[in-house]
Amino acid sequence: MNIRPFHIGMDEMYQALLLFWIPVSVMPLGLWIFLSSSDSKSKTFGKVLAFVGFTMVCLSPWTAPSSPSSAAGHLLGAIIGPIVLILIGLYLVSFSGNVPVGKLPRSDRRLGVLMILTGFIWLVGMHWWILTPQLAKDDVNPYWYVFWPTVLILTASLSSFSAIALLTIGVERRKESNSLFMLSGLSFLLLLLGLNVDGPLITAELFREHLWLAVADLAGLLVGSLLSILVFAIVIFVYERNLPPPLTIHAPSKEELQQVADVVSIHIGGEQE
Amino acid sequence: MVLAFILPLLLILAIDISFSAGIQGFDTEIAFTRFANATLTAYTLCSLVLLGNLFFYGESRNRPLAPLVGMFCATILGIAATIFFIDQGPMLLEDNGSVRAQAIYNIVHMLVSAGAVLVAIGISLGVTFSAITSQKQRSNFTYEEE
Repeated sequence: MNIRPFHIGMDEMYQALLLFWIPVSVMPLGLWIFLSSSDSKSKTFGKVLAFVGFTMVCLSPWTAPSSPSSAAGHLLGAIIGPIVLILIGLYLVSFSGNVPVGKLPRSDRRLGVLMILTGFIWLVGMHWWILTPQLAKDDVNPYWYVFWPTVLILTASLSSFSAIALLTIGVERRKESNSLFMLSGLSFLLLLLGLNVDGPLITAELFREHLWLAVADLAGLLVGSLLSILVFAIVIFVYERNLPPPLTIHAPSKEELQQVADVVSIHIGGEQE
Repeated sequence: MVLAFILPLLLILAIDISFSAGIQGFDTEIAFTRFANATLTAYTLCSLVLLGNLFFYGESRNRPLAPLVGMFCATILGIAATIFFIDQGPMLLEDNGSVRAQAIYNIVHMLVSAGAVLVAIGISLGVTFSAITSQKQRSNFTYEEE
């Protein structure tokens, strides 16, 4: 998908702000309004806001071509198809099984598996076939190098973790944990293939380089998030500790205790049968 | 379980080290720059989200100002640290020419990474859930035969 931008007479910085950064911020805002509102009007408004933001971000390589950040919008447009297919497929497979509520017909299971397979083949085709997201001919979207290794390494790690967790915590969950080991193995196999087999546009060497950067990214993401959560906890702890103790009342007097005992004795017992 | 989490990474490292002299394609300097940028950006963005969270936490407590100010300062500290360290020169400056360009690149990069993390979590959770629900229904109680 090559980009042919159309030009509008506007300063490049304002163009990026209006046509990329504001839509990027509008997406979570719309989602937040949709999730937190109780009336249907606000919910619809939130949905529309999120959709408009999403569409504008996807169109940003055309509307704000001077901004390098718009490559992220291009990536979003490129991966949304396979990701949505996989996630809807997983939903169909999950809810056509043994669930107490919201059970779907059994036939949805086959459709779900088909959707997962299609999404998966589509993603793999982005690395080893002609489907690679390209900003111009033979110019691979730089954020694809961030996205793909991160997804593969984290899926391999998380599914391996889930498999062991199911075996350790669950009771008779061997079959389920085997499915997760298979997912982990599949992701690992794709990683090994990426490290050894060149794609039409992505060499194994380049993939290797970006895999280690993805690991560094994940480590940084983990450390940074944990640090901010720690600071958040410290702020709350210090604030709560400095609050004055709540007012206490005097212990009940003998008369008050007697009154309570009288009331309780009236209500204890019940009629004899 | 922690070992299970890092097992795929350790396996790749082991294979790489076994088949070649060392870890191929790994540049310590570039990896450190990426790690430092990711840490600073994740800290700042996460603090911003938690600041918003704190605003709503305060609603049930007559919105006290002290924790809001505290978290606001922590966020500002993150922004100031990011600008300061990027401004030091090539240490945190990747292929970008200015502090602003690097900061914006960091944010977009973090959004893409966070998106990839969400996708990986979604796939792993989805497969776990579908593996559990695809098994035969189990009874929660064992009935004793009289």
